[in-house]
Amino acid sequence: MSELDRREFLKIVGLSAGAAAAAGCSEPAEKLIPYVIQPETITPGISVDYASTCLECSSGCGLHVKTREGRPIKLEGNPEHPINKGRLCARGQASLGRTYHPDRIAGPATRSGDGSLQPISWDDARGKLAAKLGSAAGKTWILGGPVGPSLDGLLDQIVAATGIAGRLRYEPFGDHALVDASQRIFGANAAPIFDLTGADLVVDFGSDFLDTGRSPVEHARQLSEGRDIASQANGGARVIAVGARQNLTVSSADLWVPAKPGSEGVLALALAQAVANSKGNAAVAAATSGASKDAALAAAGIDGALFDKLVAKLSGATRAVALPPGVASSTTAGRGTAAAVLLLNAAVSAIGTTVKYPAVDAKRTASLADVKALVLKMNAGQVECLLIHDLNPVYSLPAALGFRDALAKVELVVTFAPLADETTERASLLLPDHTPMEAWGDASPRPGVRSLVQPTIRPLFDTQALGDTLLSAARAIGGEAVATLPAGSWKSVLESNWATTSWRHALARGGEFGETPLREVALVAGAAGLKVALPEIAGAGDFTLIAFPHSFYGDGRGAALPWMQEIPDPVTKLSWNSWVELSHAKAAELDLKFGDVVTIATEAGSVDVSVFPRGGIPDDVIAMPIGQGHTVGHYASMTGDEQPQPGVARGVNLAEILPAATDEAGGQAFLSTKATVTKTGRFRRLALSQWTDNQRKRGLAPEVSLYDLAQAGSMAHFLAASPASASEHSDTEGAEGGEHARGGHHFSGPPFEFDPANDAHPDQPYRWGMTIDNDRCTGCSACVVACYVENNVSIVGEQQAIRRREMSWLRIERYVGDGDDDVSADSERRPIPSGEVLGETQVRYLPMLCQHCGAAPCEAVCPVIATYHNDEGINGMVYNRCVGTRYCANNCTYKVRRFNYFDYGRKNWPGLLGLMLNPDVTVRGQGVMEKCSFCVQRIETARQPVKDVGKPIPDGAVKTACQQSCPTDAISFGNVRDTASAPVKRAVQGANRAYRALQILNTRSAVTYLSKVRREEHEGVH
Amino acid sequence: MLESKSDATLYRRTDHGRTRRRSGWSVGSLLFALATAGLATAVVFWSGWPTPGEGTASASNEESEESEEAANSASGDLASSGPVMVATGVCDAHRLKAMKEADPSVAIEIPAEFDKQFPSANACQSAVDAWDEAAPGPNQPIPFSHKHHSGQFKIECLYCHSDTDKSKAAGVPSVELCMGCHSQFPLEYDEIEGIRILKQHWEEKKPIEWIQIHRLPEHVQFRHNRHIKAGVACQTCHGPVQELDKLYLVPDTKLGYLVPVAKLEMGWCISCHRQNNQQASQDCLKCHH
Repeated sequence: MSELDRREFLKIVGLSAGAAAAAGCSEPAEKLIPYVIQPETITPGISVDYASTCLECSSGCGLHVKTREGRPIKLEGNPEHPINKGRLCARGQASLGRTYHPDRIAGPATRSGDGSLQPISWDDARGKLAAKLGSAAGKTWILGGPVGPSLDGLLDQIVAATGIAGRLRYEPFGDHALVDASQRIFGANAAPIFDLTGADLVVDFGSDFLDTGRSPVEHARQLSEGRDIASQANGGARVIAVGARQNLTVSSADLWVPAKPGSEGVLALALAQAVANSKGNAAVAAATSGASKDAALAAAGIDGALFDKLVAKLSGATRAVALPPGVASSTTAGRGTAAAVLLLNAAVSAIGTTVKYPAVDAKRTASLADVKALVLKMNAGQVECLLIHDLNPVYSLPAALGFRDALAKVELVVTFAPLADETTERASLLLPDHTPMEAWGDASPRPGVRSLVQPTIRPLFDTQALGDTLLSAARAIGGEAVATLPAGSWKSVLESNWATTSWRHALARGGEFGETPLREVALVAGAAGLKVALPEIAGAGDFTLIAFPHSFYGDGRGAALPWMQEIPDPVTKLSWNSWVELSHAKAAELDLKFGDVVTIATEAGSVDVSVFPRGGIPDDVIAMPIGQGHTVGHYASMTGDEQPQPGVARGVNLAEILPAATDEAGGQAFLSTKATVTKTGRFRRLALSQWTDNQRKRGLAPEVSLYDLAQAGSMAHFLAASPASASEHSDTEGAEGGEHARGGHHFSGPPFEFDPANDAHPDQPYRWGMTIDNDRCTGCSACVVACYVENNVSIVGEQQAIRRREMSWLRIERYVGDGDDDVSADSERRPIPSGEVLGETQVRYLPMLCQHCGAAPCEAVCPVIATYHNDEGINGMVYNRCVGTRYCANNCTYKVRRFNYFDYGRKNWPGLLGLMLNPDVTVRGQGVMEKCSFCVQRIETARQPVKDVGKPIPDGAVKTACQQSCPTDAISFGNVRDTASAPVKRAVQGANRAYRALQILNTRSAVTYLSKVRREEHEGVH
Repeated sequence: MLESKSDATLYRRTDHGRTRRRSGWSVGSLLFALATAGLATAVVFWSGWPTPGEGTASASNEESEESEEAANSASGDLASSGPVMVATGVCDAHRLKAMKEADPSVAIEIPAEFDKQFPSANACQSAVDAWDEAAPGPNQPIPFSHKHHSGQFKIECLYCHSDTDKSKAAGVPSVELCMGCHSQFPLEYDEIEGIRILKQHWEEKKPIEWIQIHRLPEHVQFRHNRHIKAGVACQTCHGPVQELDKLYLVPDTKLGYLVPVAKLEMGWCISCHRQNNQQASQDCLKCHH
């Protein structure tokens, strides 16, 4: 064999490589598929917005659906809509995924004898339904979730015309107790509207109004306006949160009253009595004569001083509002509690100002008690056909109710859900509805405000609107009664309901937004001497079980959406699974650490779940989120996991262990049972995205007291203050701690002082920058979802999230206090997440994104210049140039760079989900680093029209996705070389609390943060 | 034939360029790329890569030669086989007439129903050439000729690609737009297969699945409207489409680089962005985001 010389060797290598390269060229050709008829409104490459309404919860926020080439790609708030005014919460934005979801049911189907689904035609399906309705209408029931007023009216008409036995409008998180209490206290059969505009004191009795409450986007906006530090030197509205568990609202509260769970009503009544007495309100005093301060103190477990402080604050407030309990604190005494809170509102003269009653009576909704009655009928064989729409009762009804067994006795179960769920699994006839993106509809968040839902994409599957399905089935029965049904389709019914207004105008605007007609209310005579009982918390066990609604899952429907699983819970920072919160002391006592699996048992059942020890919960309470534990669904169950386990639940369903307890009005009482905690000895790791809330005195998220702000006066004064003198006024930090905090804190110059050597090209007019007001941030994570959707950020799944490979470009960091620099606590591998102390709110949220540093550490280490600084100050990331060394991520000061280990962008959009990707943003491939781009695609879009006329981009023309979504307007973005731009104005206005994250490292960050303001310290200085 | 081979090679090379992994290079793939580049250079020399300035011209010359050749051989066959050639359609009539003109000794017969002006000889020829297997580029679902529409009839590019000056996407005309003109044409035009396919699509309301020729990788955000506003001619990037019956990625050989730069690769983009006093941006983020 002859020896190869070098030349020969290279030739061979070259040939074989060439052959491989030629083989690699056989990529199928891409197709260009133009329209057959191009719609006039569509220009490929240019997005069109349509106004619609979010149906994810009952708040009824207005939407602008951004579509490209006829496909919805992003949901934003409708700026004209009175509820959300252009903002949108995390859940609303994530609802985009429903339309493209892999769980979509492809078309009508019947279940055959062996349990498999057989597709049928719509005609056959309608025939089956009509035959049943014709023969057994009297034994047919409709069980449905909340629907818009037009569909509601149509369903009632259909029920009347066909002789269907009855219809239940059931919402798991209903407001029965509040409506019933309003009726008893004020004679008003309606739920009040809580208006926080101009309020100076908000007392939350566990409604969690900033997160899972009645209208979180609206309330968060109203509160942030009322707390704007720039316009109100005294700090504006104060928030007092009453509740055992530290939730998102408590995190933002100025004062936390950790009353024992279930004591809210007794406490509210005693407070109402004391306030009424101090204000001389005889009517309320009479109504609250049954209250007892001592009993309240004992029930709530708080001391008299705190009670007196609450009374003083409530009496001193000029415009206070008290919010009645939400789901997490709904008890068997729910109506009494709501009544007590309403009386407190009356005592502070809030009725008519911050608590308003609409003139229109609320339509009665079914309560859990009504569903119980239906289950009895089903068991007795009195229900032959059950139609289920907009509801997943098999999942969400308490297992103790026996709905599942009763359902097996119903001959024909018909579901209309567009996505497969636990109920469709047990249905014999599936007639899938459109998703809200594909359908016509309307909503009425409150009287006077009507909002339209319009389709923004042609139905992707063989689905039919619920209204049309039932109308045609009813018509197929025939008969005289049916002739009374409205003619035409569901859409024409909707149009006729909107005949009083211009249809086209309403479509363009998103609805008809008028004033809500209000009614004057006063205490009714029967309200005197109201007695509020302590709720019954049944069962054995050392712990009271708080079942709280998860920020993202709602009643469980949100668990199907990929972002809602992937994005960590704002409070615990856990994702993809269930957990049980337990106090540190109890965890130590039971020898439990983070991730240890315990059995939670109640009288209704038991579940196994991992432990998450934390500080913000009392020793005798455990808390678990509602919404996980689905056995059906690509994301909701383990079906779509990295190691797929079809039909296995992801997390646990609290309906398995909650008793079917109800309050006086029949609504479900979620806080109604005690539970036992038993160690199993097993361990199941949870995906925790932030392992510590200890910021180690680095001043990442500092806090300024009102006193310090007043003392500082001007920024110059503030900056001149030496660390020692600053700490004199700071009672939360020791002298040394103050030094540390300030060390990372202050500017060496005014905000956004331009440095031509680092920040941007001196000849270019722009340096893009951002100001984030931590004082406005509630941590709700709407911005995180906005970023995920806008920038095609990948979902990595639970297994990868556990390995901390999540791809979020923007995260909300959560810190408690300034932290301590004792690092020994971290020597253990499992996290010690909580510096929380019961009754103290030291929580600070810090939205963390790429800081687009002028002197960026990442840029210096990239061997291929894939990350670089552009002339306009943006830290660019060129994906196609990146070779994946990850040096940049290692050198990033802020840990905002994300590495794509397994081509998540291509693999993790199953089904049609890829259709909703934003075509303006590259889908990053495997082995590439990625990070926040300051939404450079939005900058370029805004540049187009002004470049043609040779003008600069005006301030406000570019809104980043995070900024656009923020309910509290915490983020402002713009050109910081323009001293009149919004971010500069805000930073200068708030200069005495402005800082850059880890300023001490001189990265010349383009993001200026404004510290959270501590309103409760030095009370009375102003 | 050498010329034609080089075109094919170049087309393939370009194809390779766009299928390259976006995720960057490993050390292995760098070596691999070096080796590939070496081979490619070798191929260039072996196959007589066109020298700067003559690429497109020689390609079209070669094409016309080839078609003439085909015509000649065809006529030879027919002349030897029979006395009178009878036209079977209008296009066939055009062909026979041309044959007669070239060689008056040929006996032809044109039935009256085929002795018509339309479809024109050009239209017939373009439709054939657009599906010429020998020509570079893929066969499209319809034998559509840019040469016929844009070159011979001088229809503005923006008449059909009407979003080019409005949007980042140029837009491919809808079937409706095609039918806007073609529905008014005499029925004789149906003799051309392309027209029949077009009308079939229109009747079935079925979109046409064109094969993309000028393709940028997914990580490039290109804005057509910006380039139109800057006065860049369509042909700068798309080649002399008005001269092409069948579209392919026409190589650009005007640059005096050792390895000629193919069109629509980044070096080629940048070479233009560097011209004219650097008015065009060279910021990575302009196109890569």
